[in-house]
Amino acid sequence: MARMIQEPLCMSSILQEIETQIANAKTGLLKQDVGVVREVYDGVAKIEGLADAMYNEMLDFGDGVMGLALNLEETEVGAVILGDYLRVRQGQTVRTTGKLLSVPVGKALLGRVVDALGRPLDGKGPIHAEAIYPVERIAPGVIKRRSVNQPVQTGIMAIDAMIPIGRGQRELIIGDRATGKTTICIDTIINNARLNREAEERGEREYRPLYSIYVAIGQKQSNVARVIAELEKAGAMPYTIVVVASASDTAANQFLAPFAGCAMGEWFMDNGMDALIVYDDLSKHAVAYRQVSLVLKRPSGREAYPGDVFYLHSRLLERAARLNEKYGNGSLTALPIIETQAGDVTAYIPTNVISITDGQIYLETDLFYQGIRPAISVGISVSRVGSAAQIKAMKQVASRVKLDLAQFRELAAFAQFGSELDARTQAQLERGKRIIELFKQPPYNPIPVEIQVAVLWAVQNNYMDDVPVEKIKDFQNKLTEFLTLRKAGLLGQIRAEKAITDAIAAELKAALEQFKQTYR
Amino acid sequence: MKIPKRSIRTAKQLFKSCVRDGQLDESLVRRVVTALLQSKPRDYLAVLMHFKRLVKLEIQRRTAVVETAIPMDPAQAEQLRDTLERNFGAGLRFVFAHRPELIGGMRVQVGSRVYDGTIRAQLDELKAAFGAEWRA
Repeated sequence: MARMIQEPLCMSSILQEIETQIANAKTGLLKQDVGVVREVYDGVAKIEGLADAMYNEMLDFGDGVMGLALNLEETEVGAVILGDYLRVRQGQTVRTTGKLLSVPVGKALLGRVVDALGRPLDGKGPIHAEAIYPVERIAPGVIKRRSVNQPVQTGIMAIDAMIPIGRGQRELIIGDRATGKTTICIDTIINNARLNREAEERGEREYRPLYSIYVAIGQKQSNVARVIAELEKAGAMPYTIVVVASASDTAANQFLAPFAGCAMGEWFMDNGMDALIVYDDLSKHAVAYRQVSLVLKRPSGREAYPGDVFYLHSRLLERAARLNEKYGNGSLTALPIIETQAGDVTAYIPTNVISITDGQIYLETDLFYQGIRPAISVGISVSRVGSAAQIKAMKQVASRVKLDLAQFRELAAFAQFGSELDARTQAQLERGKRIIELFKQPPYNPIPVEIQVAVLWAVQNNYMDDVPVEKIKDFQNKLTEFLTLRKAGLLGQIRAEKAITDAIAAELKAALEQFKQTYR
Repeated sequence: MKIPKRSIRTAKQLFKSCVRDGQLDESLVRRVVTALLQSKPRDYLAVLMHFKRLVKLEIQRRTAVVETAIPMDPAQAEQLRDTLERNFGAGLRFVFAHRPELIGGMRVQVGSRVYDGTIRAQLDELKAAFGAEWRA
């Protein structure tokens, strides 16, 4: 009997709860801050009112058009319009949303092509993202970080041996137009996709996959389509997100795209994974930001760029980091690209980005036309932290290579005198020529690190001295084929041990002697 | 019309001189305008244009627009005046409007701040929620 009384009582309290909730919902007031569009031009709007608008807040223009409050002035708010600004009319009402501009993030984006706001462009249906991240975020602080100690294998021998890149590093790729800047980045993405796939197939638990994000800023649609086709052909798309703000997109979208891509990368970093982001390219990004700033009537500085263009790039690139164990051990590696005009690295934007990044890979037109491709100028390219991230085997073979190449460059001027030189100098010149020949590599053809090590070991141990320079490439190709087909065990050992032990050295010696006997 | 910086500065100074105890003094505003039109200093039209804009924004900031679906009874209106003046300070100008298209409830706008409790607003929000993407 007691239960029967209690139950209805219990029920009635729930009913009361629901009723009060309904009553609250009914009286719920919409509290808004509104303004009126005073002018619209060139993708920006000046809005009167909006007394409570916040910096970088999303504004709702109605009809699905959004804006971003960038200038908070005494009597008005300057906002860039994201989307079709021709639909915004003078006198129209604008509302604040109380939200910062955010994009979807997570693994659901892998394999997709999206715009600067994370909306799909590839016609593969909607994206069901795990989370959304604000586009602008404060970079991780010193407490969260640790030094770079794991490599990003680019698969490009010249880079992996001479200018190594570590996970969490920011390495600038700089050069004139058509010198292969994008190709280096695509190679890196393809190589890491291959490594991810192989580790998955082998079921390696401890391998940390590297996911890639390619951000195209102000590029021709045809170029972007080519890159995507290349990634698809190499099977790299399942590990890659492509963010596109092409040349026909508004300047506001081009300015936001790298920040959106960075937010997607940060999700991987925050969740203890590794990601690589390519900004292709930051010169066009600076130009887009200059346009936005000038139409917002911000004062201009050198080359008409606004005063905060340095901060624009530094806050973007500071978000690349290697987190320590306590914060999940994730990393975000950034490969910004800068296009120079006629090799001038002393222009405003290139010097800015050079000073922000942890090193640069400099590509030269001259080298490119001499047939040295990738056209990396080893002399002035540096990596400030990467060598800490090289695997031991690579360190063992590459340190000598660096010295050999430096000596070769010094002596190259004398090379014209030919036979007048002493035998030692001759030998150094010959070694240098062979190394340069080895570093030539066709595009979209990354070389696994164990093969790089074996080939460099061979040249260091004088196995190529008697091969003519013009036959070096053929020798390298056949050696690679020989090693992959017949000495797969040895390559696997190098990959697993990550160092050239005495036993591996002996096996390499045996393998090379066997190969030299058959090579013609 | 492009208003020179100097005129903007002058207009701002004139505007400040018309504010007494945080309230815009209308008689002072009238005096400023007549004085400007009589003496006709350099760029006086530009100064007047900007001055007008500042006055307009100030009036908008201190105006409460109350819109209801059915006309408000005077007691209710008085109560609303009290509440709003308590929140936004004394000296608010009130405009009462009758708009049947709001269906029910009340919408109050003071400056750029809007409190919307109308059925129309709730319907619009519902409509937006159905048509919205994940972001909205």
